[in-house]
Amino acid sequence: MIAQTLLALLILFIPVASYAAYCFAGKSSLIVGGGLNVAVAGLMYFGPDLSGIFYIDFTTWVFVIMVASVHFLSVTYATKYFHGTDLGIRENTFYLLMSLFTTSMFFSLEINNFGLMWVGIEATTISSSLLLIAEKTETSLEATWRYLVLVSAGVTFAFLSIILIFYSLGTLDVSSIISHGPEASPVLALAVTIALMGFGTKVGIFPVHTWLPDAHSESPAPVSAMFSGVLLPTALYVLYRVYEIDPLTPLYLWAGVVSIAAASIFLGYQTRYKRMFAYSTMENMNLALIGFAIGGTAGITGALLLLISHSFAKAGAFYTSGSIFKASGLKKISEIKGLWKSMPASSASLLMSSLAVTGAPPFGTFFGEFLIFYGLLSMHYYFPLAIIAFFLVTAFIAVNHNVSGMLFDGESSYSEPGKVMPFLGILSSAIPVLIGLVFVVVYLETL
Amino acid sequence: MNALIEVLIYPISSFILISAFYLQAQEFVRSMVIGQMIQSALLGFLSFVIGFAESDYDFFILGVLIVVLRAFLVTYMLERRVPREKIHLHEKKVDVAFTFLVNLILVVTAVFLIYFLIFRSIHLVPDIGSSTIFIFPLTLFFQGLFLIASRKTTFAQIIGYVEEENALVLFAMFLLPIPLIIEASVFLDVLALVVVSSIVVIEKFAHEKMEDLVG
Repeated sequence: MIAQTLLALLILFIPVASYAAYCFAGKSSLIVGGGLNVAVAGLMYFGPDLSGIFYIDFTTWVFVIMVASVHFLSVTYATKYFHGTDLGIRENTFYLLMSLFTTSMFFSLEINNFGLMWVGIEATTISSSLLLIAEKTETSLEATWRYLVLVSAGVTFAFLSIILIFYSLGTLDVSSIISHGPEASPVLALAVTIALMGFGTKVGIFPVHTWLPDAHSESPAPVSAMFSGVLLPTALYVLYRVYEIDPLTPLYLWAGVVSIAAASIFLGYQTRYKRMFAYSTMENMNLALIGFAIGGTAGITGALLLLISHSFAKAGAFYTSGSIFKASGLKKISEIKGLWKSMPASSASLLMSSLAVTGAPPFGTFFGEFLIFYGLLSMHYYFPLAIIAFFLVTAFIAVNHNVSGMLFDGESSYSEPGKVMPFLGILSSAIPVLIGLVFVVVYLETL
Repeated sequence: MNALIEVLIYPISSFILISAFYLQAQEFVRSMVIGQMIQSALLGFLSFVIGFAESDYDFFILGVLIVVLRAFLVTYMLERRVPREKIHLHEKKVDVAFTFLVNLILVVTAVFLIYFLIFRSIHLVPDIGSSTIFIFPLTLFFQGLFLIASRKTTFAQIIGYVEEENALVLFAMFLLPIPLIIEASVFLDVLALVVVSSIVVIEKFAHEKMEDLVG
């Protein structure tokens, strides 16, 4: 128990310590620190569940390993991405904010108190907002402001639900509230409903999602990867913990269904590739929300499998988007042509990541979606299932049609921006295949 | 006790609401910053009064936190960023009288609907009064949201956000104050957010639609 608590503390400490080391020893310290965090998060798997200062069970661990891994990849990518670029903020400020951003996500995941979870989520907004203006454009400044105002106003709304939880239960301890089991009361129902709109702002639930495409599209690639891959899932984790207090399944299920429909429609007419991937994130987060809402082994396993696979796949998509932008300086889908010949490595990662985020087999996202569908079927939610299936197919066609146009239509003379950035894109896109295969092997063994 | 409540708590809460309407009616940045300071100071004073009525020292600490962090530090941060050029001193392209009218209609409708549908049945901490007192934080909350939505300057939107946070503090005071450690963390979070926002203020005073961010 003590060892597990120490590991949980270490996870919070390493990002900041690696930044301190960076000030003296350079960028390699950030990469070493990121790798160390993945190793510590991996070790936590073997420890017991915690319910003291920290609340950590298997679900928390999945999110912790996700944050640690994507942070490691993003920091490594950032060290190359910003090389020779004129930044809107100083480079060391960027890495400081990146470290604080990561620590605040770990804090939100690990802390055993709903009030402090809220504080952690708000801290992610504060620490990440200035990361958006790293590329110093007028649009990134506007996107930063929209992100700050919309998310803060929304998350403030969520604080109302924290007050109501404390009023009803007299405690904010996550472990004692969850171990007590679900409790139904009008005030708790109100708290869980308000949390859906409040924390839902950060998760990307329609109609409070409007900051999401702006922030994702205007931030630098490693920041977009962190936002899409781990920030939204962290907010989803907090929302899920609140949901467990009084599960309002129909409300959360239909909020997810409507959001998936909206995301697919918006996705269909996007002209910029990063905005397209942002809406794809919204779609995936809401599908995971549905998995958590229906619960059961299929729902929860499906949601976790979808989230962890999506985090790597979407990080891969944004790393590749960063490489393409670095090589071409263009943001519009219609302006990018013939990548297959000019940038073969980035093309491979773009193809793999776009297939992964749209739930194609054998990527882990496919199996996650499959389990959520199975959960919906077993609970006789046929109508929501039909709507979700229709809009997922629409999104699949929209994303892959656009990506195939970028890859195979016409010709171009771009060149890969070095070796590390395309490699990280391929690595991130390939991990969901591995997750999918591991799941199949484990699943077949349990039969 | 009841006399104290009637004499102080309701009137102070009313003054907090008046300050919110004052903010909504302002188009000059400096007046809005001062309005926010007065609102936060009134909130701090209210915390002292409730602390006295309830004999609860936590309210006194809360009052000190509100006065120091919100009424003083937030105001100081914003005041430092108020532009010296007169052209930037006020909100342009916003018909304040019209938005004030729309605000009144929307806020009053929303507050009464939500109060009668939801909050009427919630019981308060003894001695504070009847559940009608929830009308104050609810109105303040919607005022804050409307201020963010109806204005284009960064300053007005930050103040709208602070007002929204003030509403939650007021709500928690009337219902059941949450543990001080959490309340203090929330105050520090808000302060940090204002600091970050004040950095954006330097680069971008007002906000308009941008083609790249449509869709």
